[in-house]
Amino acid sequence: MSSKTTIYGFLFVGLAVTLALIVAPAVYAVSLSFYQMDSFVGAPKWVGFANYVAVLQAPEFWHALLNGAIYALGSIVFQVALGIGFALVLNEAFPGRNLVRGLSILPYLLPTVVVILTFKWMVDGGIGIVTKAVEAMGLPPINWFESPGAAMASTILVSVWMWTPFVTTCFLAALQTVPQSLYEAARVDGTTAVQRFFHITLPMLKPILTVVVLLRAIWMFNKFDVIWLLTRGGPVGATENLAILSYRHAFNLFDIGGGAAIATISFALLSVAVLIYFWVFPLEDD
Amino acid sequence: MTNDKTITKPGGVSRRTLIKSAGALGTAFAAGTIGAPAVWGQGKKTIRFLNTETSIDSIRALKVACAEYEKQFGTHVIVDSVPLDDAFTKVTTSLRGGQPYDIATFAFVGHVLLLQAEGQLMPLTELTSKHKWGPKILFPVKDEVYWYPYDYNLAWIYYRKDLYEKHGLSAPKSYAEMLKNTQTLTADGRFGSLFPIGSNGATNWLAPGFMWAEGVKLFDDKWNVALDNAEMAPRVTRYLDFFAELYKTMPSGASQASFGEVLSNFSSDKVGHAAYAGRIIEALERNAPKLATQYGITPYMDSTGKAKAVNHGYDGWVVLKTPNSDESMKFMKWFTENQYINFLHTAPLHFQPPRLDVYDDPRWRAHPLIEKHKEAVETMRGFITDKSVILTSIDTEGPAPDLRPGKVFEGFVIPEMLQNKILKNMSSAECIKTAADKMRKLIA
Repeated sequence: MSSKTTIYGFLFVGLAVTLALIVAPAVYAVSLSFYQMDSFVGAPKWVGFANYVAVLQAPEFWHALLNGAIYALGSIVFQVALGIGFALVLNEAFPGRNLVRGLSILPYLLPTVVVILTFKWMVDGGIGIVTKAVEAMGLPPINWFESPGAAMASTILVSVWMWTPFVTTCFLAALQTVPQSLYEAARVDGTTAVQRFFHITLPMLKPILTVVVLLRAIWMFNKFDVIWLLTRGGPVGATENLAILSYRHAFNLFDIGGGAAIATISFALLSVAVLIYFWVFPLEDD
Repeated sequence: MTNDKTITKPGGVSRRTLIKSAGALGTAFAAGTIGAPAVWGQGKKTIRFLNTETSIDSIRALKVACAEYEKQFGTHVIVDSVPLDDAFTKVTTSLRGGQPYDIATFAFVGHVLLLQAEGQLMPLTELTSKHKWGPKILFPVKDEVYWYPYDYNLAWIYYRKDLYEKHGLSAPKSYAEMLKNTQTLTADGRFGSLFPIGSNGATNWLAPGFMWAEGVKLFDDKWNVALDNAEMAPRVTRYLDFFAELYKTMPSGASQASFGEVLSNFSSDKVGHAAYAGRIIEALERNAPKLATQYGITPYMDSTGKAKAVNHGYDGWVVLKTPNSDESMKFMKWFTENQYINFLHTAPLHFQPPRLDVYDDPRWRAHPLIEKHKEAVETMRGFITDKSVILTSIDTEGPAPDLRPGKVFEGFVIPEMLQNKILKNMSSAECIKTAADKMRKLIA
């Protein structure tokens, strides 16, 4: 088999899988958004752009969009800040470094459902271990989910705990590619640690920072499992993002077309955001 | 350098030969596999049963029954078990995908109605007509019944009898008494009560009972939203004001509490009152046997002490119109005649029989837990036979079984009304208006 045939062979398989598992379902989902459907049973009714008009006119849509943005932004800021901080620490030499590096990835390895259920039981208002510890210290109880703000903060907290290790690992890998000679030269020039961080480390991390922020933004904006398991979008819709709203329309409110329209708009918004992001932070420059 | 040279080790197998052999083997295996079902399928029918009772005991009982059926009649019954929330999606997507389930479990009449309207269900009247049933459970459509309800999961209030005796309290009959009792029990590291208020099924099931007792109707006889009309608004206001006070006796986290939290908080002696069906008694027997003789049960009450209610809950099986419908009907007939009581025994107090004959059936009564808790069982029976007890729920509200209350249920209208009152401190009038507006939008 010639190398050209091999290349085309692999390309064909890759394209076929992408078409079958990604493009076709996506096209089907977009097509659903033009129909009115109670369920997957029965005849769908063509309604054109009516689902989009209804969705865009609903305050819940804009509320969910804002919630998604707040959740994504809050999660990314903390994940990146903590991720860089931990990576800097783990990049230094200290006894047991390899063990600590191994342990630091653990939260990322745990299944989401395990993390969420454990968290919920830990902060349970009656029998949670955190609740009991707070009580034993004589402090007032923490209302983790009892107000819209607290629920959003708790959701961000769990996300930060789960995915900071991923960010840490990415930055740690990038840090190990920074030539030590740059630091040595800077030291000879009498720079402080802070100056070295901002003038050497951070610029050298920029390519990975660009990719990590982009990936985290996409994953956080679309995040479903954590929010669904933790709050189901409540209280009073305070943590409901577009992914949750889309699911609820499609599978709870007998409005598959509306759910598909929300998902399509979400996809379009993310695509535009990604294009703008790469326009502002082009990878080629690095 | 080329890659297509044949590399052969002395005395070994060439790479090309190895690839060819693997390819031939793979082709033979694929061909065999494709052909296999046609051969295996001859002479043996298979039906698929979607179950949503996911306890080990229930799944085991179903599988044992299916094995017994296969032994007797040669039909293989595959049982798939999924969480309740996923059942309707699984059924509809299986229909859409051309490989439908033959029998499925539902806990929401709207799903039954929707599939019936699309002509996807077999009538089960010939099976249900053999027995007398409790109220509001068959949901007939044009004199035909399209499901076989196997249990009631009514929600009522549990309280601690031992603590009541200690504090000289009696079972609450009015909002004021309920508040007094819950406030009294808020002591010694224990909270007075736990009723969920989050946007979830637990709140839809366990929180509205007080509202039903107050005589609230969500819809009038013509499916207009009644929640905010002149008759209902004052009743809903009383309910909301009462619930806001009741909330003060609960541990933090009521907005996230679901079924598990209610069960565990009551059975671990952390709250003095909670709402649930019979599952709490089973949990007490399993996890806190000392408390298993210390509970009392009472229906939800109104503000005046005159009315009482339980929140409706139910589960049932449907038979889908598939190429295996006849076989599925035969299985359902056999199962409901021969295995029904065994199945009920897998959650003896939680699966409250909707068939009235079962209450007097010695086989059912012989279960040790039913025997031990016969006083509670009689009270539970009273909830469906005493006509003064209001029996309703969000999803069964309205003049007839319909999808509209289901949308209100799934839209979490009542939970959000409670959250607006309790977590956002909105006035009751504002909460009611917001809820009624959302209802109108959902059913439009």
